[in-house]
Amino acid sequence: MEIKTEQFTELAKKELKNDRQRLFLKLIPPVMRMKREAGFSTLPDAPAAMACGAAIRAEAMARLPELLEEFEKNATANGMKVVWARDDKEANEFIRNLAKEKGIQYVTKGKSMVTEETALNEVLEEQGIEVWETDLGEFIAQQLHRTPFHIVGPAINVPVEEVRDLFIEKIGLKEPTLDPVKLGYAARLFLRDKFHHVKMGITGVNMAVAETGTIINVENEGNIRFTKASPPIQVSVMSLEKVIPTMKDALHMVRLLCRSCTGQRLSVYVSMDSGPKKKDEIDGPEELYIVIVDNGRSKIYQDVKAREVLRCIRCGACLAGCPVWRQIGGYAYGWAYSGPMGQVLNPMLLGLDKTQELYRASTLCGACKSICPVGIDHPSLFLYYRSKDVLEDPNFKSKERPWAERQFFRIWSFAASTPWLWNLGVRMARPFINKDARDGIISKAIGPSEGWFRNRDLPSMAGFTFHDRWKKIQNTESRGQKSE
Amino acid sequence: MEQSVRDEILTKLKAAPKAAFPARPHLPPYKTLSMDREQLIAEFITRLTEEAVVVHRAKDFPEALEKLTVVALEEGLKKVMATADDVVLRLDLPAWGKKNDIQIMTPRDFPDRESYRDAVFDQAQAGITGVDFAVAESATIGLIHNQDQARLVSLAPILHIAIVPVDRLVPVYEQVIEKVFGNKKQCPSQFVFISGPSMTGDIQGVLFKGMHGPRKVIVILVG
Ligand code: SF4
Repeated sequence: MEIKTEQFTELAKKELKNDRQRLFLKLIPPVMRMKREAGFSTLPDAPAAMACGAAIRAEAMARLPELLEEFEKNATANGMKVVWARDDKEANEFIRNLAKEKGIQYVTKGKSMVTEETALNEVLEEQGIEVWETDLGEFIAQQLHRTPFHIVGPAINVPVEEVRDLFIEKIGLKEPTLDPVKLGYAARLFLRDKFHHVKMGITGVNMAVAETGTIINVENEGNIRFTKASPPIQVSVMSLEKVIPTMKDALHMVRLLCRSCTGQRLSVYVSMDSGPKKKDEIDGPEELYIVIVDNGRSKIYQDVKAREVLRCIRCGACLAGCPVWRQIGGYAYGWAYSGPMGQVLNPMLLGLDKTQELYRASTLCGACKSICPVGIDHPSLFLYYRSKDVLEDPNFKSKERPWAERQFFRIWSFAASTPWLWNLGVRMARPFINKDARDGIISKAIGPSEGWFRNRDLPSMAGFTFHDRWKKIQNTESRGQKSE
Repeated sequence: MEQSVRDEILTKLKAAPKAAFPARPHLPPYKTLSMDREQLIAEFITRLTEEAVVVHRAKDFPEALEKLTVVALEEGLKKVMATADDVVLRLDLPAWGKKNDIQIMTPRDFPDRESYRDAVFDQAQAGITGVDFAVAESATIGLIHNQDQARLVSLAPILHIAIVPVDRLVPVYEQVIEKVFGNKKQCPSQFVFISGPSMTGDIQGVLFKGMHGPRKVIVILVG
């Protein structure tokens, strides 16, 4: 899938014209929020539980290399095959070669954000290996060739009419219907046949527990369980930040994840694999591969502040909580990760230069931060990226600012740190700045700062500076005292 | 080559600056932890009902079989797949099947994965399993997968009937985790928590049951 993060503004404008989608975006997020709040209310102390989630993920990140080694050691002792990949290419190549070597014709897939990131499906399809996404939403998104609209409901916005037409075309839906339940059932029957005969299944990983070498998947549909139970070969792909110290920690995180995601106490299926099937088991994988993908994370890890983004457990809560996402939906962000989660993650994975508008498209209201169960401070990260960008930090691949802007700020910083020049400047600039003021409000400007006023107003500047007014007040007062 | 990629990544991570992390705050205990047995059972039943799980309660295994007969009649069961776990074994399903004219298959009847998959996907009208645990914190049952508890039996048929001895009911997940994962050398190849029927809301947020797994889950509580 083409990465379109650089077209954010254009895409957002386009999405804003989709009335049906906007209506949908008005209706669904409040429901999600209500469910989420009801879910959290079942915890004895929700804020403490969230603080604990933040502490667990912070610890996991602080101890990342050590935990990865521990996970690998235990997983290997349990008979899993652990494979490391520097980037998308290496991960995809390993899976493609494995599939070729085993003579695989098609695979079923559980929803996995990291393979979305590495665009694994395209690589397999190029080799003539069919890929069936089996999460209903992901299945629809895949057939429509779209990125996920929402991380939890990847195609939740797609109108039923479109789903119906798609199913008629792609899966031979016999009786056209607009009933979501019947449509879902048609997909069930179609994918069931795939599960029945599948020889290799690919899944993501929600958590990898270091203590026991166990991987955990959380889902409602059962497609991941099928993908892990039915075929003799299982490949589970994880980005390297998925590790959790202990099983007990993992269960706490599962509690938070399910509530934050859908408001459930527990998702319908939480499956935990600690190794391939034993000899006398009839189902489950004979071979179980864990592919640990770096793809830029070890680099993000070098920066202690930016490292915070690696805490994310992909619950998706910050999306529906974000006033921007609630207007434009998930497509405008141009890649697998959307909403505040994508706005903090994509700039680190793709570079600040390719994501210029992502970390600027925020009001810094902090809704995301207040919802996040692992304590990610999105607004401070946006500010951090913005400053890294203008300071032209080569580690973050910042984009060079335009010449005029750089000159302007050079003069600005000189003036701002030179008192006499500053005082002179603010006095002289007043009439110039206030010339377009109407009723004390400036709402437009001509020249380079024109764009700034597109969505914003500025109160006009007072007639006198504070210093001038102060002097005047003191003068009047001292005169008043004399006359007493 | 694999070795070097691994080392390269780990070396890079280890070279990064160290960071402190906050201490874990104190968490108050879950309310299920202070419940007595009957309260716990009542809580569990409430949770199950919320998730649209049908609950029957039997005082012992013979009564559980009677309940099962009623269920079989209601659901029109003729051919089912049952696991061979210790709970199900206590029911003596082969004898029950003969009496009620229901064909009982078990994963062991099949020589290989292919024939077993054909049966569990296309023939079994229901899957009958025992459970290793039940958790009152949510509508959750826990199954340890091994040679006696095959994975697809509780997943592929459209109906899952779970036999839950009440003495396997615990207040919170941690108690299960301790037993199942306490000895890291003896972790089961797979362990699963199941809370109700398979479901989705992926088309326009409309919830429906039976997406890929069972559309209906019936729990028979024994004891
Ligand atoms: S950033 Fe926080 S709220 Fe957003 S998806 Fe990640 S964990 Fe959830």
